[in-house]
Amino acid sequence: MGTLKDRYCVVGVGETEYSRNSGRTTRAMAVEAIRKAMDDAGLGPKDVDGMMSYQGNDSTPSLIVGPDLAIRLNFWMDVVGGGSSTEALIGLAMGAIEVGLCRTVAIFRSMNGYTEVRIGGTGTRAAAPVRGQELAWRPYGMTSAGQNFAPTFMRHMYDYGTTSEQVAHVKVAHSTHASQNPKALHKERVTVEDVLNSRWIVKPLHLLDCCVETDNATCLIVTSAERARDLRQRPIHIMGVAGRVSKPRTDFHFAHGPISRVAGYYAKDIVFPMAGIGPEDVDLTGSYDAFTFTTLLQLEEYGFCKKGEGGAYVSSGSIELGGARPNNTSGGHLCEAYTHGMNLVIENVRQLRGTADDYCPGWAEGKHSYDYSPGKCRQVEDAEIAMNLGWSTPATGSALILRR
Amino acid sequence: MPNVEYRGMNLIVPENDSEWREYVKTAREHKLVMRKCAACGLLRYPPSHGCPWCGDLGWSWQEVSGKGTIHSYEIVVQAIQPGFRDWAPYPVVLVELDEQRGSPTPDEGLRMIANLVKPDFTPEREEHVAIGKRVRVLFQDLSPEIALPQFTLTDEPPQGRVWRLA
Repeated sequence: MGTLKDRYCVVGVGETEYSRNSGRTTRAMAVEAIRKAMDDAGLGPKDVDGMMSYQGNDSTPSLIVGPDLAIRLNFWMDVVGGGSSTEALIGLAMGAIEVGLCRTVAIFRSMNGYTEVRIGGTGTRAAAPVRGQELAWRPYGMTSAGQNFAPTFMRHMYDYGTTSEQVAHVKVAHSTHASQNPKALHKERVTVEDVLNSRWIVKPLHLLDCCVETDNATCLIVTSAERARDLRQRPIHIMGVAGRVSKPRTDFHFAHGPISRVAGYYAKDIVFPMAGIGPEDVDLTGSYDAFTFTTLLQLEEYGFCKKGEGGAYVSSGSIELGGARPNNTSGGHLCEAYTHGMNLVIENVRQLRGTADDYCPGWAEGKHSYDYSPGKCRQVEDAEIAMNLGWSTPATGSALILRR
Repeated sequence: MPNVEYRGMNLIVPENDSEWREYVKTAREHKLVMRKCAACGLLRYPPSHGCPWCGDLGWSWQEVSGKGTIHSYEIVVQAIQPGFRDWAPYPVVLVELDEQRGSPTPDEGLRMIANLVKPDFTPEREEHVAIGKRVRVLFQDLSPEIALPQFTLTDEPPQGRVWRLA
Protein backbone atom coordinates (compact mmCIF):
# COMPACT_ATOMS: atom_id res chain seq x y z
CA MET A 1 0.00 0.00 0.00
CA GLY A 2 1.33 3.42 -0.91
CA THR A 3 1.51 6.29 1.50
CA LEU A 4 -1.74 7.82 2.73
CA LYS A 5 -0.09 11.18 3.37
CA ASP A 6 -2.44 14.05 2.46
CA ARG A 7 -5.13 11.65 1.19
CA TYR A 8 -7.46 12.15 4.15
CA CYS A 9 -8.75 15.32 5.75
CA VAL A 10 -10.43 16.64 8.87
CA VAL A 11 -13.46 18.42 7.42
CA GLY A 12 -15.63 19.24 10.41
CA VAL A 13 -15.18 20.05 14.09
CA GLY A 14 -17.65 20.75 16.85
CA GLU A 15 -18.07 20.83 20.59
CA THR A 16 -20.63 21.57 23.29
CA GLU A 17 -20.19 24.24 25.89
CA TYR A 18 -17.35 23.44 28.30
CA SER A 19 -18.89 23.46 31.76
CA ARG A 20 -18.90 21.88 35.17
CA ASN A 21 -22.64 21.50 35.23
CA SER A 22 -23.97 20.11 31.94
CA GLY A 23 -27.28 19.03 33.45
CA ARG A 24 -27.81 16.47 30.70
CA THR A 25 -26.72 13.10 29.40
CA THR A 26 -23.61 12.17 27.45
CA ARG A 27 -26.09 11.15 24.74
CA ALA A 28 -27.51 14.66 24.46
CA MET A 29 -24.06 16.22 24.46
CA ALA A 30 -22.65 13.79 21.88
CA VAL A 31 -25.53 14.52 19.51
CA GLU A 32 -24.98 18.27 19.82
CA ALA A 33 -21.23 18.04 19.19
CA ILE A 34 -21.63 15.76 16.17
CA ARG A 35 -24.43 17.90 14.70
CA LYS A 36 -22.25 20.99 15.05
CA ALA A 37 -19.33 19.25 13.34
CA MET A 38 -21.64 18.11 10.52
CA ASP A 39 -22.94 21.67 10.11
CA ASP A 40 -19.37 22.96 10.17
CA ALA A 41 -18.47 20.59 7.33
CA GLY A 42 -21.72 21.04 5.44
CA LEU A 43 -22.66 17.38 5.81
CA GLY A 44 -26.18 15.97 6.21
CA PRO A 45 -27.30 12.72 7.88
CA LYS A 46 -26.88 10.73 4.65
CA ASP A 47 -23.31 11.96 4.23
CA VAL A 48 -21.98 10.48 7.48
CA ASP A 49 -21.91 6.69 7.54
CA GLY A 50 -19.14 5.91 10.05
CA MET A 51 -18.90 6.66 13.75
CA MET A 52 -16.21 6.03 16.35
CA SER A 53 -15.86 7.00 19.98
CA TYR A 54 -13.79 6.27 23.04
CA GLN A 55 -14.82 6.08 26.66
CA GLY A 56 -14.20 4.66 30.10
CA ASN A 57 -17.70 3.44 30.98
CA ASP A 58 -18.73 7.08 31.04
CA SER A 59 -20.29 7.73 27.61
CA THR A 60 -23.09 6.72 25.24
CA PRO A 61 -22.19 4.38 22.37
CA SER A 62 -22.46 5.10 18.65
CA LEU A 63 -25.43 2.78 18.12
CA ILE A 64 -27.52 5.03 20.39
CA VAL A 65 -26.11 8.33 19.18
CA GLY A 66 -26.30 7.59 15.43
CA PRO A 67 -30.10 7.25 15.23
CA ASP A 68 -30.54 10.52 17.18
CA LEU A 69 -28.91 12.17 14.18
CA ALA A 70 -30.96 10.19 11.63
CA ILE A 71 -27.73 8.51 10.55
CA ARG A 72 -27.67 4.92 9.26
CA LEU A 73 -24.19 3.61 9.95
CA ASN A 74 -22.11 1.41 7.67
CA PHE A 75 -19.43 1.21 10.34
CA TRP A 76 -19.15 2.01 14.03
CA MET A 77 -16.68 1.23 16.77
CA ASP A 78 -16.56 2.40 20.39
CA VAL A 79 -13.28 1.70 22.12
CA VAL A 80 -12.07 1.89 25.70
CA GLY A 81 -9.62 4.71 26.13
CA GLY A 82 -8.79 8.18 27.30
CA GLY A 83 -5.87 10.33 26.28
CA SER A 84 -4.06 9.41 23.04
CA SER A 85 -7.26 7.92 21.58
CA THR A 86 -8.08 10.98 19.43
CA GLU A 87 -5.10 10.66 17.10
CA ALA A 88 -5.30 6.86 17.07
CA LEU A 89 -8.97 6.92 16.04
CA ILE A 90 -8.24 9.41 13.27
CA GLY A 91 -5.75 6.87 11.91
CA LEU A 92 -8.28 4.06 12.25
CA ALA A 93 -10.95 6.17 10.53
CA MET A 94 -8.58 6.64 7.58
CA GLY A 95 -8.12 2.88 7.46
CA ALA A 96 -11.84 2.18 7.66
CA ILE A 97 -12.49 4.49 4.72
CA GLU A 98 -9.47 3.23 2.79
CA VAL A 99 -10.68 -0.39 2.87
CA GLY A 100 -14.23 0.61 2.01
CA LEU A 101 -16.05 0.04 5.30
CA CYS A 102 -17.56 3.50 5.04
CA ARG A 103 -16.97 6.92 3.46
CA THR A 104 -17.05 9.55 6.21
CA VAL A 105 -16.43 9.03 9.93
CA ALA A 106 -17.57 11.15 12.87
CA ILE A 107 -15.27 10.63 15.87
CA PHE A 108 -16.68 11.75 19.21
CA ARG A 109 -15.92 11.84 22.91
CA SER A 110 -18.69 12.65 25.38
CA MET A 111 -18.17 12.83 29.11
CA ASN A 112 -19.66 14.36 32.22
CA GLY A 113 -16.10 14.48 33.47
CA TYR A 114 -16.96 16.68 36.43
CA THR A 115 -20.53 15.90 37.44
CA GLU A 116 -20.54 12.12 36.83
CA VAL A 117 -17.34 10.11 36.36
CA ARG A 118 -14.52 12.30 37.57
CA ILE A 119 -11.30 11.80 35.69
CA GLY A 120 -9.31 12.64 38.82
CA GLY A 121 -10.40 9.33 40.30
CA THR A 122 -12.66 10.47 43.12
CA GLY A 123 -16.19 9.10 43.58
CA THR A 124 -17.16 5.95 41.69
CA ARG A 125 -13.61 5.22 40.55
CA ALA A 126 -12.24 5.33 44.10
CA ALA A 127 -15.02 3.02 45.30
CA ALA A 128 -14.26 0.17 42.86
CA PRO A 129 -12.74 -3.02 44.37
CA VAL A 130 -8.97 -3.51 44.04
CA ARG A 131 -7.92 -6.71 42.27
CA GLY A 132 -5.48 -8.15 39.78
CA GLN A 133 -2.89 -5.78 38.39
CA GLU A 134 -4.17 -2.86 40.49
CA LEU A 135 -2.80 -4.60 43.59
CA ALA A 136 0.56 -3.21 42.51
CA TRP A 137 -0.46 0.40 43.23
CA ARG A 138 -3.97 1.11 44.54
CA PRO A 139 -3.48 -0.39 48.03
CA TYR A 140 -0.74 2.22 48.48
CA GLY A 141 -3.06 5.13 47.85
CA MET A 142 -1.94 5.55 44.22
CA THR A 143 -5.12 5.84 42.21
CA SER A 144 -5.49 8.96 40.07
CA ALA A 145 -3.59 9.85 36.91
CA GLY A 146 -1.62 12.50 38.79
CA GLN A 147 -0.59 9.99 41.43
CA ASN A 148 0.28 7.47 38.73
CA PHE A 149 2.53 9.88 36.82
CA ALA A 150 4.09 11.91 39.65
CA PRO A 151 7.11 9.60 40.19
CA THR A 152 7.92 10.01 36.48
CA PHE A 153 7.87 13.81 36.85
CA MET A 154 9.90 13.67 40.08
CA ARG A 155 12.55 11.53 38.40
CA HIS A 156 12.80 14.04 35.55
CA MET A 157 13.56 16.72 38.15
CA TYR A 158 16.23 14.45 39.63
CA ASP A 159 17.77 13.45 36.30
CA TYR A 160 17.82 16.89 34.65
CA GLY A 161 17.38 19.51 37.35
CA THR A 162 13.96 20.54 36.05
CA THR A 163 12.29 22.93 38.50
CA SER A 164 8.71 23.63 39.55
CA GLU A 165 9.21 27.23 38.39
CA GLN A 166 10.15 26.13 34.88
CA VAL A 167 7.24 23.73 34.54
CA ALA A 168 4.80 26.37 35.83
CA HIS A 169 5.45 28.32 32.63
CA VAL A 170 3.35 25.74 30.76
CA LYS A 171 0.31 26.79 32.80
CA VAL A 172 1.21 30.45 32.41
CA ALA A 173 1.40 30.10 28.60
CA HIS A 174 -1.81 28.11 28.32
CA SER A 175 -3.68 30.52 30.59
CA THR A 176 -2.54 33.40 28.38
CA HIS A 177 -3.95 31.56 25.38
CA ALA A 178 -7.20 30.73 27.19
CA SER A 179 -7.71 34.39 28.02
CA GLN A 180 -8.23 34.98 24.29
CA ASN A 181 -10.63 32.04 23.92
CA PRO A 182 -14.33 32.74 24.54
CA LYS A 183 -14.99 29.00 25.06
CA ALA A 184 -12.38 28.47 27.78
CA LEU A 185 -13.52 27.37 31.22
CA HIS A 186 -10.69 29.27 32.94
CA LYS A 187 -9.90 32.54 31.18
CA GLU A 188 -7.86 34.27 33.88
CA ARG A 189 -4.16 34.74 33.19
CA VAL A 190 -1.98 33.29 35.94
CA THR A 191 1.64 33.85 36.93
CA VAL A 192 4.42 31.44 37.91
CA GLU A 193 3.85 32.55 41.51
CA ASP A 194 0.14 31.69 41.23
CA VAL A 195 1.07 28.16 40.20
CA LEU A 196 3.69 27.73 42.92
CA ASN A 197 1.37 29.18 45.57
CA SER A 198 -1.57 26.96 44.65
CA ARG A 199 -2.09 24.05 47.02
CA TRP A 200 -0.27 20.78 46.59
CA ILE A 201 -2.21 17.87 45.12
CA VAL A 202 0.51 15.26 44.84
CA LYS A 203 4.07 16.54 44.92
CA PRO A 204 5.55 17.65 42.54
CA LEU A 205 2.11 18.72 41.21
CA HIS A 206 0.31 21.80 42.49
CA LEU A 207 -3.38 22.36 41.84
CA LEU A 208 -2.56 24.61 38.87
CA ASP A 209 -0.25 21.96 37.39
CA CYS A 210 -3.38 19.83 36.88
CA CYS A 211 -6.04 20.10 34.18
CA VAL A 212 -9.69 20.97 34.78
CA GLU A 213 -12.28 18.19 34.92
CA THR A 214 -15.04 19.21 32.52
CA ASP A 215 -18.48 18.16 31.25
CA ASN A 216 -18.37 18.23 27.46
CA ALA A 217 -18.68 16.45 24.14
CA THR A 218 -16.44 16.97 21.11
CA CYS A 219 -16.40 15.76 17.51
CA LEU A 220 -14.03 15.55 14.52
CA ILE A 221 -15.12 14.39 11.06
CA VAL A 222 -12.69 12.59 8.75
CA THR A 223 -13.17 11.84 5.07
CA SER A 224 -11.10 11.44 1.91
CA ALA A 225 -9.30 14.42 0.38
CA GLU A 226 -11.36 13.88 -2.75
CA ARG A 227 -14.69 14.33 -0.91
CA ALA A 228 -13.23 17.09 1.24
CA ARG A 229 -12.83 19.34 -1.79
CA ASP A 230 -16.60 19.69 -2.16
CA LEU A 231 -17.31 20.55 1.48
CA ARG A 232 -17.84 23.82 3.30
CA GLN A 233 -14.44 24.38 4.94
CA ARG A 234 -10.89 24.56 3.73
CA PRO A 235 -9.77 20.89 4.01
CA ILE A 236 -7.12 20.21 6.64
CA HIS A 237 -4.90 17.40 5.40
CA ILE A 238 -3.59 14.56 7.54
CA MET A 239 0.14 14.26 6.83
CA GLY A 240 1.02 11.65 9.40
CA VAL A 241 -0.41 9.77 12.34
CA ALA A 242 0.86 7.42 15.04
CA GLY A 243 -1.57 5.60 17.32
CA ARG A 244 -1.03 4.43 20.89
CA VAL A 245 2.67 3.85 20.35
CA SER A 246 4.09 2.33 23.53
CA LYS A 247 7.22 1.75 25.54
CA PRO A 248 7.86 -1.81 26.68
CA ARG A 249 6.04 -2.79 29.89
CA THR A 250 2.74 -0.98 29.50
CA ASP A 251 1.57 -3.31 32.29
CA PHE A 252 3.68 -1.29 34.76
CA HIS A 253 5.27 1.74 33.16
CA PHE A 254 7.80 2.16 35.97
CA ALA A 255 9.43 -1.14 35.00
CA HIS A 256 11.19 0.07 31.87
CA GLY A 257 13.67 2.88 32.20
CA PRO A 258 14.58 5.56 31.99
CA ILE A 259 11.23 6.28 33.61
CA SER A 260 11.44 9.93 32.53
CA ARG A 261 11.39 8.78 28.90
CA VAL A 262 7.88 8.74 27.37
CA ALA A 263 6.25 7.06 24.40
CA GLY A 264 7.04 9.86 21.96
CA TYR A 265 10.56 8.42 21.91
CA TYR A 266 9.10 5.69 19.70
CA ALA A 267 6.17 7.53 18.08
CA LYS A 268 8.35 10.22 16.51
CA ASP A 269 9.98 7.60 14.29
CA ILE A 270 6.59 6.70 12.84
CA VAL A 271 4.88 10.05 12.50
CA PHE A 272 7.66 12.27 11.15
CA PRO A 273 8.79 9.93 8.34
CA MET A 274 5.15 9.40 7.33
CA ALA A 275 4.64 13.15 7.08
CA GLY A 276 8.02 13.70 5.45
CA ILE A 277 8.87 16.56 7.79
CA GLY A 278 10.76 17.15 11.02
CA PRO A 279 9.96 19.06 14.21
CA GLU A 280 11.57 22.22 12.77
CA ASP A 281 8.79 22.37 10.13
CA VAL A 282 5.97 22.49 12.68
CA ASP A 283 4.36 25.91 13.30
CA LEU A 284 2.34 25.05 16.40
CA THR A 285 1.86 22.08 18.70
CA GLY A 286 -0.86 20.60 20.83
CA SER A 287 1.12 18.70 23.45
CA TYR A 288 -1.35 16.99 25.79
CA ASP A 289 -1.53 18.87 29.05
CA ALA A 290 -3.28 16.64 31.54
CA PHE A 291 -0.51 18.14 33.67
CA THR A 292 2.08 20.81 32.98
CA PHE A 293 4.74 18.08 33.00
CA THR A 294 3.11 15.97 30.27
CA THR A 295 3.45 18.86 27.82
CA LEU A 296 7.12 19.27 28.68
CA LEU A 297 8.06 15.58 28.51
CA GLN A 298 6.46 15.17 25.09
CA LEU A 299 7.98 18.31 23.57
CA GLU A 300 11.38 16.88 24.53
CA GLU A 301 10.70 13.41 23.25
CA TYR A 302 9.48 14.56 19.84
CA GLY A 303 12.59 16.68 19.40
CA PHE A 304 11.22 20.21 19.82
CA CYS A 305 14.08 20.61 22.28
CA LYS A 306 16.80 18.29 23.52
CA LYS A 307 16.02 15.60 26.08
CA GLY A 308 16.44 17.10 29.52
CA GLU A 309 16.14 20.68 28.30
CA GLY A 310 12.35 20.83 28.45
CA GLY A 311 12.39 23.00 31.54
CA ALA A 312 14.44 25.67 29.81
CA TYR A 313 12.40 25.33 26.62
CA VAL A 314 8.94 25.77 28.14
CA SER A 315 10.11 28.74 30.20
CA SER A 316 11.79 30.48 27.23
CA GLY A 317 8.63 31.94 25.70
CA SER A 318 8.81 29.56 22.73
CA ILE A 319 5.50 27.86 23.54
CA GLU A 320 3.54 31.12 23.95
CA LEU A 321 1.55 32.94 21.29
CA GLY A 322 4.08 35.08 19.46
CA GLY A 323 6.83 32.59 20.34
CA ALA A 324 8.64 30.25 17.98
CA ARG A 325 6.11 27.42 18.29
CA PRO A 326 3.03 28.09 20.42
CA ASN A 327 1.53 25.13 22.25
CA ASN A 328 -2.16 24.60 22.99
CA THR A 329 -3.34 27.96 21.70
CA SER A 330 -6.87 27.30 23.04
CA GLY A 331 -5.63 27.02 26.60
CA GLY A 332 -5.63 23.23 26.38
CA HIS A 333 -6.66 20.85 29.10
CA LEU A 334 -5.19 23.09 31.77
CA CYS A 335 -7.51 26.01 30.98
CA GLU A 336 -9.97 25.48 28.11
CA ALA A 337 -11.37 22.08 29.10
CA TYR A 338 -10.34 18.50 29.73
CA THR A 339 -11.61 16.44 26.81
CA HIS A 340 -9.13 13.55 26.60
CA GLY A 341 -7.35 15.19 23.67
CA MET A 342 -10.16 16.15 21.31
CA ASN A 343 -10.14 19.91 21.87
CA LEU A 344 -6.39 20.01 21.20
CA VAL A 345 -6.91 18.61 17.70
CA ILE A 346 -10.02 20.73 17.11
CA GLU A 347 -7.98 23.81 17.98
CA ASN A 348 -5.22 22.93 15.53
CA VAL A 349 -7.76 22.38 12.76
CA ARG A 350 -9.20 25.85 13.38
CA GLN A 351 -5.74 27.38 13.55
CA LEU A 352 -4.83 25.90 10.17
CA ARG A 353 -8.08 27.23 8.70
CA GLY A 354 -7.09 30.64 10.09
CA THR A 355 -10.35 30.87 12.02
CA ALA A 356 -9.41 30.51 15.68
CA ASP A 357 -12.34 32.00 17.60
CA ASP A 358 -10.91 34.85 19.64
CA TYR A 359 -11.82 38.46 20.36
CA CYS A 360 -10.87 39.77 16.93
CA PRO A 361 -14.16 41.06 15.38
CA GLY A 362 -13.50 39.31 12.06
CA TRP A 363 -12.19 35.94 13.33
CA ALA A 364 -14.92 33.92 11.57
CA GLU A 365 -13.77 35.32 8.22
CA GLY A 366 -10.13 34.73 9.13
CA LYS A 367 -9.46 38.41 9.87
CA HIS A 368 -7.08 38.65 12.81
CA SER A 369 -5.00 41.37 14.44
CA TYR A 370 -2.22 39.02 15.65
CA ASP A 371 -2.11 41.27 18.68
CA TYR A 372 -1.69 38.87 21.59
CA SER A 373 -2.24 41.42 24.34
CA PRO A 374 -5.14 40.70 26.73
CA GLY A 375 -8.58 40.58 25.16
CA LYS A 376 -7.38 40.32 21.58
CA CYS A 377 -6.09 37.63 19.22
CA ARG A 378 -4.96 34.02 19.51
CA GLN A 379 -4.56 33.11 15.84
CA VAL A 380 -1.05 31.99 14.86
CA GLU A 381 -0.04 34.02 11.81
CA ASP A 382 0.28 32.01 8.60
CA ALA A 383 0.07 28.61 10.35
CA GLU A 384 0.72 25.87 7.80
CA ILE A 385 1.62 22.75 9.80
CA ALA A 386 0.35 21.75 13.24
CA MET A 387 1.15 18.73 15.35
CA ASN A 388 -0.66 16.97 18.17
CA LEU A 389 1.17 14.94 20.79
CA GLY A 390 -1.35 12.72 22.56
CA TRP A 391 -0.66 11.25 26.00
CA SER A 392 -2.22 8.26 27.70
CA THR A 393 0.48 7.41 30.25
CA PRO A 394 4.25 7.79 30.24
CA ALA A 395 4.25 4.48 28.35
CA THR A 396 1.66 5.20 25.65
CA GLY A 397 1.09 8.12 23.29
CA SER A 398 -0.18 9.08 19.85
CA ALA A 399 0.74 11.78 17.36
CA LEU A 400 -0.86 13.59 14.44
CA ILE A 401 0.51 16.04 11.88
CA LEU A 402 -1.94 18.26 9.99
CA ARG A 403 -1.43 20.84 7.24
CA ARG A 404 -3.70 23.37 5.65
CA MET B 1 -12.21 -15.91 48.37
CA PRO B 2 -9.49 -14.02 50.25
CA ASN B 3 -10.46 -10.39 50.54
CA VAL B 4 -9.98 -7.64 53.07
CA GLU B 5 -11.25 -4.15 53.71
CA TYR B 6 -8.26 -1.80 53.90
CA ARG B 7 -8.66 1.97 54.18
CA GLY B 8 -12.14 1.75 52.71
CA MET B 9 -11.02 -0.28 49.71
CA ASN B 10 -12.05 -3.87 49.09
CA LEU B 11 -8.89 -5.81 48.20
CA ILE B 12 -9.83 -9.05 46.43
CA VAL B 13 -7.53 -11.95 45.60
CA PRO B 14 -9.72 -14.72 44.18
CA GLU B 15 -8.56 -18.35 44.14
CA ASN B 16 -8.41 -18.11 40.34
CA ASP B 17 -6.10 -15.08 40.38
CA SER B 18 -3.27 -17.03 38.84
CA GLU B 19 -0.87 -14.07 38.92
CA TRP B 20 -1.37 -12.66 42.43
CA ARG B 21 -2.76 -15.47 44.64
CA GLU B 22 0.58 -17.04 45.58
CA TYR B 23 2.38 -13.72 45.71
CA VAL B 24 -0.03 -12.43 48.35
CA LYS B 25 0.01 -15.74 50.26
CA THR B 26 3.81 -15.67 50.35
CA ALA B 27 3.82 -12.04 51.47
CA ARG B 28 1.61 -13.12 54.39
CA GLU B 29 4.47 -15.47 55.32
CA HIS B 30 6.67 -12.35 55.22
CA LYS B 31 8.62 -13.36 52.17
CA LEU B 32 9.00 -11.23 49.05
CA VAL B 33 9.00 -13.28 45.84
CA MET B 34 9.38 -12.46 42.17
CA ARG B 35 8.59 -14.55 39.15
CA LYS B 36 11.72 -15.94 37.49
CA CYS B 37 11.62 -16.87 33.81
CA ALA B 38 12.43 -20.54 33.14
CA ALA B 39 14.05 -19.66 29.81
CA CYS B 40 16.03 -16.41 30.25
CA GLY B 41 16.29 -16.42 34.04
CA LEU B 42 15.22 -12.80 34.48
CA LEU B 43 13.06 -11.78 37.44
CA ARG B 44 9.97 -9.65 36.90
CA TYR B 45 7.42 -7.58 38.82
CA PRO B 46 4.44 -7.28 38.97
CA PRO B 47 3.73 -11.01 38.63
CA SER B 48 2.81 -11.55 34.98
CA HIS B 49 1.75 -14.57 32.96
CA GLY B 50 4.55 -14.45 30.39
CA CYS B 51 8.12 -13.14 30.46
CA PRO B 52 8.20 -9.50 29.29
CA TRP B 53 11.64 -9.98 27.74
CA CYS B 54 11.47 -13.33 25.96
CA GLY B 55 7.79 -14.33 26.08
CA ASP B 56 8.45 -17.70 27.68
CA LEU B 57 5.54 -18.99 29.76
CA GLY B 58 7.59 -21.10 32.17
CA TRP B 59 8.44 -19.62 35.58
CA SER B 60 9.11 -20.26 39.23
CA TRP B 61 8.93 -18.05 42.33
CA GLN B 62 12.23 -16.78 43.68
CA GLU B 63 12.65 -15.05 47.01
CA VAL B 64 14.49 -11.71 46.95
CA SER B 65 16.22 -9.78 49.72
CA GLY B 66 13.69 -6.98 49.92
CA LYS B 67 16.52 -4.44 50.03
CA GLY B 68 16.62 -1.57 47.61
CA THR B 69 16.94 2.13 46.85
CA ILE B 70 14.32 4.83 46.35
CA HIS B 71 14.32 5.43 42.58
CA SER B 72 11.56 8.05 42.68
CA TYR B 73 8.66 9.08 44.89
CA GLU B 74 5.68 11.35 45.36
CA ILE B 75 3.98 12.91 48.36
CA VAL B 76 0.21 12.60 48.23
CA VAL B 77 -1.21 15.69 49.88
CA GLN B 78 -4.80 15.42 48.67
CA ALA B 79 -5.86 11.80 49.12
CA ILE B 80 -8.19 10.40 46.46
CA GLN B 81 -9.23 7.34 48.47
CA PRO B 82 -11.30 8.64 51.41
CA GLY B 83 -9.63 6.03 53.65
CA PHE B 84 -6.24 7.66 53.10
CA ARG B 85 -7.29 11.16 54.20
CA ASP B 86 -6.12 10.66 57.77
CA TRP B 87 -2.75 9.49 56.39
CA ALA B 88 -2.04 12.50 54.15
CA PRO B 89 0.47 13.79 53.44
CA TYR B 90 1.89 10.33 52.79
CA PRO B 91 4.79 9.12 50.63
CA VAL B 92 4.50 6.66 47.76
CA VAL B 93 7.90 5.36 46.74
CA LEU B 94 9.21 3.62 43.63
CA VAL B 95 11.81 1.21 45.00
CA GLU B 96 14.48 -0.39 42.86
CA LEU B 97 15.48 -3.70 44.40
CA ASP B 98 19.13 -4.73 44.68
CA GLU B 99 18.56 -7.83 42.58
CA GLN B 100 18.88 -7.36 38.82
CA ARG B 101 19.84 -3.67 38.90
CA GLY B 102 20.79 -2.48 35.41
CA SER B 103 19.58 -5.65 33.76
CA PRO B 104 18.63 -6.57 31.06
CA THR B 105 19.46 -2.99 29.96
CA PRO B 106 21.36 -0.36 31.99
CA ASP B 107 18.18 1.62 32.72
CA GLU B 108 16.13 -1.29 33.96
CA GLY B 109 15.66 -2.91 37.30
CA LEU B 110 13.10 -4.63 39.49
CA ARG B 111 10.91 -1.79 40.66
CA MET B 112 7.97 -1.79 43.06
CA ILE B 113 5.46 0.80 44.27
CA ALA B 114 4.76 0.94 48.01
CA ASN B 115 4.44 3.37 50.86
CA LEU B 116 7.49 4.46 52.81
CA VAL B 117 6.49 3.73 56.39
CA LYS B 118 7.97 3.74 59.87
CA PRO B 119 8.26 0.32 61.54
CA ASP B 120 4.82 0.89 63.11
CA PHE B 121 3.33 1.28 59.58
CA THR B 122 2.59 4.98 59.91
CA PRO B 123 3.75 7.12 56.96
CA GLU B 124 7.38 8.28 57.02
CA ARG B 125 7.85 12.02 57.47
CA GLU B 126 8.22 13.88 54.20
CA GLU B 127 11.59 15.40 55.06
CA HIS B 128 13.04 11.89 55.35
CA VAL B 129 11.93 10.80 51.88
CA ALA B 130 14.53 11.20 49.12
CA ILE B 131 15.72 9.57 45.93
CA GLY B 132 18.87 7.56 46.62
CA LYS B 133 18.00 6.53 50.18
CA ARG B 134 18.21 2.86 51.12
CA VAL B 135 15.16 0.88 52.18
CA ARG B 136 14.08 -2.61 53.19
CA VAL B 137 10.77 -4.43 52.92
CA LEU B 138 8.30 -4.81 55.79
CA PHE B 139 5.07 -6.78 55.66
CA GLN B 140 1.86 -5.18 56.83
CA ASP B 141 -0.59 -7.94 57.82
CA LEU B 142 -4.13 -7.05 56.81
CA SER B 143 -5.87 -10.39 57.43
CA PRO B 144 -4.92 -14.02 58.12
CA GLU B 145 -4.49 -14.39 54.33
CA ILE B 146 -3.35 -11.02 53.00
CA ALA B 147 -0.28 -8.88 53.71
CA LEU B 148 1.02 -5.79 51.92
CA PRO B 149 4.75 -5.42 51.27
CA GLN B 150 5.82 -1.94 52.43
CA PHE B 151 9.23 -0.29 52.70
CA THR B 152 11.07 1.45 55.52
CA LEU B 153 14.33 3.40 55.67
CA THR B 154 17.56 1.66 56.75
CA ASP B 155 20.74 3.22 58.09
CA GLU B 156 22.84 2.01 55.15
CA PRO B 157 24.69 4.72 53.21
CA PRO B 158 22.70 6.05 50.25
CA GLN B 159 23.21 4.83 46.73
CA GLY B 160 24.33 7.65 44.46
CA ARG B 161 23.12 11.21 44.72
CA VAL B 162 20.46 11.93 47.34
CA TRP B 163 17.76 14.40 46.35
CA ARG B 164 14.34 15.45 47.47
CA LEU B 165 11.92 18.13 46.30
CA ALA B 166 12.56 21.07 48.61
